[in-house]
Amino acid sequence: MDDHVVSVLSNIGVISFVALSAYLLLLTGEISFGQQAFFGIGAYAAAIATAMWGWPLAAGLMLGALAGASSALLVGLPTLRLHGLYFAVATLAFAEMIRILLELFHYQVAVDGELVGPNGTDGFGGIRYVFQNKIGAFEYMLLIYTLLATALAGLWLLERSRLGVAFRMIGGDETLAKTSGIAITRHRMIAAALAGALAGIGGGLYAHLTTYIEPRIFDIMLGVHALAYGLIGGLGTALGPLLGVLIDIGLLGSTRLFSGYRMIVFGGLVAVLLIFRPRGLLNEEMVHRIGSFWRRVWPTDPSQKSHGKT
Amino acid sequence: MLELSGLSKHFGGVRAVDGVNLKVGRGDIVGLIGPNGSGKSTIVNLICGLFPPTAGNVLLAGKDITSLPTHIRVGMGIARTFQNIRLFGQLSVWQNLWVAQNSDQHRKDGSFLKRWLGAPGAARAEIDRTLEFFNLEKKRDELAANLSFGEQRRLEMARALAANPSLLLLDEPAAGMNAEEIEQLDERIRTLRKTGITILLIEHHMELVMAVTDRVAVLNFGQKIADGGPAEIQANPQVREAYLGSSNVK
Amino acid sequence: MKKTAMLSAAAFIGINLVFPAAAAQNIRAKADVVCEPTKENLTYDCKIKLVDARTNAPLTGVTLTVGADMPSMPGVHNLRSVIAQAQGDPGNYRAILELEMTGVWALRLDITGATRDRVVKVLRFGDD
Repeated sequence: MDDHVVSVLSNIGVISFVALSAYLLLLTGEISFGQQAFFGIGAYAAAIATAMWGWPLAAGLMLGALAGASSALLVGLPTLRLHGLYFAVATLAFAEMIRILLELFHYQVAVDGELVGPNGTDGFGGIRYVFQNKIGAFEYMLLIYTLLATALAGLWLLERSRLGVAFRMIGGDETLAKTSGIAITRHRMIAAALAGALAGIGGGLYAHLTTYIEPRIFDIMLGVHALAYGLIGGLGTALGPLLGVLIDIGLLGSTRLFSGYRMIVFGGLVAVLLIFRPRGLLNEEMVHRIGSFWRRVWPTDPSQKSHGKT
Repeated sequence: MLELSGLSKHFGGVRAVDGVNLKVGRGDIVGLIGPNGSGKSTIVNLICGLFPPTAGNVLLAGKDITSLPTHIRVGMGIARTFQNIRLFGQLSVWQNLWVAQNSDQHRKDGSFLKRWLGAPGAARAEIDRTLEFFNLEKKRDELAANLSFGEQRRLEMARALAANPSLLLLDEPAAGMNAEEIEQLDERIRTLRKTGITILLIEHHMELVMAVTDRVAVLNFGQKIADGGPAEIQANPQVREAYLGSSNVK
Repeated sequence: MKKTAMLSAAAFIGINLVFPAAAAQNIRAKADVVCEPTKENLTYDCKIKLVDARTNAPLTGVTLTVGADMPSMPGVHNLRSVIAQAQGDPGNYRAILELEMTGVWALRLDITGATRDRVVKVLRFGDD
């Protein structure tokens, strides 16, 4: 496979994790401008683990996921009781706070006579795990997509479970969800932790893909895009945000078609879709229609099957 | 079953509910009527715990639930419908009932995975029965948003019943229904009565209220002005005045 | 619960076997990069000096490709990498970069051949 294609696909795969993270919170009706912070925390945690402590990659990625989830819980404790605009602004403020803390974060050790580790605004380079272990770019891409597929399978199961449907209920009508017996705050915390873990894994993968991270990577731009991916691609299925990433990075960012005008085209696309299709291209209606079509093509009723036979 | 004592809710200077006492016995169907803005829906919201009362208590089966959050009360057997239809439009009819199912027996039924990804046999059968009861069995895979108005009204009540409540709060279930639909609603409430469920029925449609309730309480300006059997209430001059003062007699 | 814990422990060990901790020490590259604007808008002439980080000896006999990413929007600006030409003294390379916009770019120096490594250099491009 062409190096450029591998590089683009790897980026698409990694950014998909942030998009899924924002998507999960969108399901519960919360608009978060802060998922990039957990992506950043995951990136730093995973990178510190492999580059400075000599941990294996899998352990580093797990630490990244754990760091993302626990910091999302910490941020969620005071913010998840807020609604709408207040929540959005609070998440943005927290994310910026975390980014500035990362700018002040200095922690370096000497590896082979060279200082490695977070060095404030000068970033954190030399995250060489992939190179030291002779993992090729293509193999690393496969690792990214294996984890992405696992995450998608997990989300697919989640959305068919009581928990996932409860997420959608809270997003659809909070009062009604309450009077249907759902503990709103507890469910939102679970969603926030899962979303934090997704972003954290994505961050860990990103750090090892580029070998270099710095606080600037995790500023509001990434957060806004993560949100926009779900809104463009659709909130009916976890494939929606992936479609959003594909449109943005695959079509707008990687072809020379729009070159420097990508942001203008992208912003316009978001605005048009929000007006004409507020829940994105693959919205619930579309997913339901595709589902009905499948049910007609397949004689056995998959809904019956997934509901469990007696 | 349900007891309100000195229940009050003030919004700023407005006394939406003002010192209401009401007792609803187990298995009773009690009507709650009154002109628009007399505080009926506020009482339902207070019973559900959507906001805290300014004063007074709500007791369910003798237990004070005034300070419990909504989802706990629902777990204790309270279910409601809304005056304006509220459904999860993006979920299918089946899913709307599935997630509303709340009874403990189903929690212990079947394996963990089966409960989380679907419903064990008894729970499925119960959903099927509820769908049939409300004549919605053909719509089970339809998105709730795509149903007709009448179907949505029925689904709302079905959803409330799916929780297997001991106390059902119906907030104007006949609003917007035609004569035939009201007739069906009347029949359904009569059928439900036989199951021993307690119902608090808020309704403007007097014919329905008088036909299905055991007792009727009348609210005006947040205060209870009368409480008695349907015939007694119809003859009550205070009630007549409250209603004739406004144009809400139907 | 116990089953889940054991399963995840097994998965953890399994993955670590596939991707073991760093053992083999490769040559670690170090780079100095200077980029000058050219007459062409948004096109830059970059001179790169590669050395072995441990011995400071010039790094020769490798293929150097240069890519670029914008830290302010990670993963989105996928410029096609260019191959740098060896030029002048050993370890010196030159590459012409065509960027999409001015601002801060993270140059990705990918070294393949005798050793494999990646060095990232953050530079500001444009007039300020």
